Amino acid sequence: MKIPAYSTIRVILEEGIGLLELNSPPSNAMNMEFFREFGYAMSFISLHEEFRALIICGHGRHYSSGADVPVLLKEINEHAETDQTGKLLNIPGFLSKNYESFLLLESLSIPVISAIRGVCLGSALELALFIHFRLCGEEAVFGLPEASFNLAPGLGGIYKLCSLSGQAFALERVLKGSTFNSEDALKHGIVDKVVPKKVLIPAAYDFARQVMQDFRVEKRRLYVKKYLS
Amino acid sequence: METINKISWEIRNDIGIITLDNPPENYLFQPDFVPLDTLKKWTSYDYLKGIMICGAGKHFSGGGKLENLFRMIGNKEVINEKMDKGKAVLEHIENLDIPVIAAIQGICFGGGLEIALASHIRICAENALFAFPEVNQGVIPGLGGTVRSYMKAGFPKAMKLIMSGDMINAEDAQEMHLVDFIVNKHKVFDYSFSFLQKLTRDRPLTVINAVMKALKNARSLSMEEAMKEETRIFCELAVAEARRRNGSGK
Repeated sequence: MKIPAYSTIRVILEEGIGLLELNSPPSNAMNMEFFREFGYAMSFISLHEEFRALIICGHGRHYSSGADVPVLLKEINEHAETDQTGKLLNIPGFLSKNYESFLLLESLSIPVISAIRGVCLGSALELALFIHFRLCGEEAVFGLPEASFNLAPGLGGIYKLCSLSGQAFALERVLKGSTFNSEDALKHGIVDKVVPKKVLIPAAYDFARQVMQDFRVEKRRLYVKKYLS
Repeated sequence: METINKISWEIRNDIGIITLDNPPENYLFQPDFVPLDTLKKWTSYDYLKGIMICGAGKHFSGGGKLENLFRMIGNKEVINEKMDKGKAVLEHIENLDIPVIAAIQGICFGGGLEIALASHIRICAENALFAFPEVNQGVIPGLGGTVRSYMKAGFPKAMKLIMSGDMINAEDAQEMHLVDFIVNKHKVFDYSFSFLQKLTRDRPLTVINAVMKALKNARSLSMEEAMKEETRIFCELAVAEARRRNGSGK
């Protein structure tokens, strides 16, 4: 098996544990190419049994600052059809593909672990919310700031935040677009464990080794209780 | 200010305030504590950005006077119709596309708790008390209280609350996810009002409506349907924003 080379992400595999790094320095912003490549990588990983666990993290200090908003707006405006009143007639295909790749990620039969350092904003948080387990560094910063650009999260962020942390927290954070820290994320069920950032990646590997032995997604809470509390 | 069936309505800035206005306990006269048509009229002002529900005086509400309901019991159809109307009122509140905050102090029992649970955010005073006392009179909550409390608190805790009829305090209610914030008893109204203003003041109504619709979908649709709709809603905002930034047109 040869792992394809990508330009915005990096995938390596060691002893059955894959590591997928978001890799567009400095803040690993998610551009159009990222979403394309991420979809390919998810298909590739889902088709290769050599991957028995997967860790997703950001290259460098940050997880990711989220989508590149000006580019995204331009692409949507070019591909979305509207009627005379401005009513939307279709969802551009690339947007549907983006959330389909998140659904594929969530449906993987291997444990997927997010290791979050630094900023994790917008679509990057949406991505993280589809991952089975979330570990974060002490100084991580989370948020769905879309409303402050007259937008709203669009890749399942509202749905996931609401089901993990309840309606009031989701409503407040999404509407204000305000960020929150690791402690709040833990308190509201958005991350499963906070660790010092220097040991984050080793902790993710340790956890992956423990949970990959007999992973079943419906036992998620049990693994969290057994290995992460 | 308008009043109907001891329920008052006023608008301050861009926030609508519904006051359960039958002190001291603010008992509700009937399941549809405010007629649906009246509520629809009140909530249809297109500049409103949020709604607050509170009680007059020291309490939120002691709920419905069950004696009133029992008087109707001879006629099963009448009582069914009344309960359906009550449920429609709470569904209208829950499905509004602007945020609704229940500002709770003192007692919040039965139908009062059902109104609070249909709101999007619950802020209560440290001295608030919650209960579903219906079992003491041989009935159960009938306006969605069993379902909404179960959705928030989970089966064991909701069952205990409903079956025992016992009162719980603010801390226990927060622990059960029945309330979201606890504040000083003198500050519930002001805190809730300013919370709602801070939440909405920098946001255009299109964004507020979009977020509320997505949350409604999160409550009522399957994950895949809710996600598809979330992307559609996002896309509508994105097209509008792209065109705004470009001046106009494609």
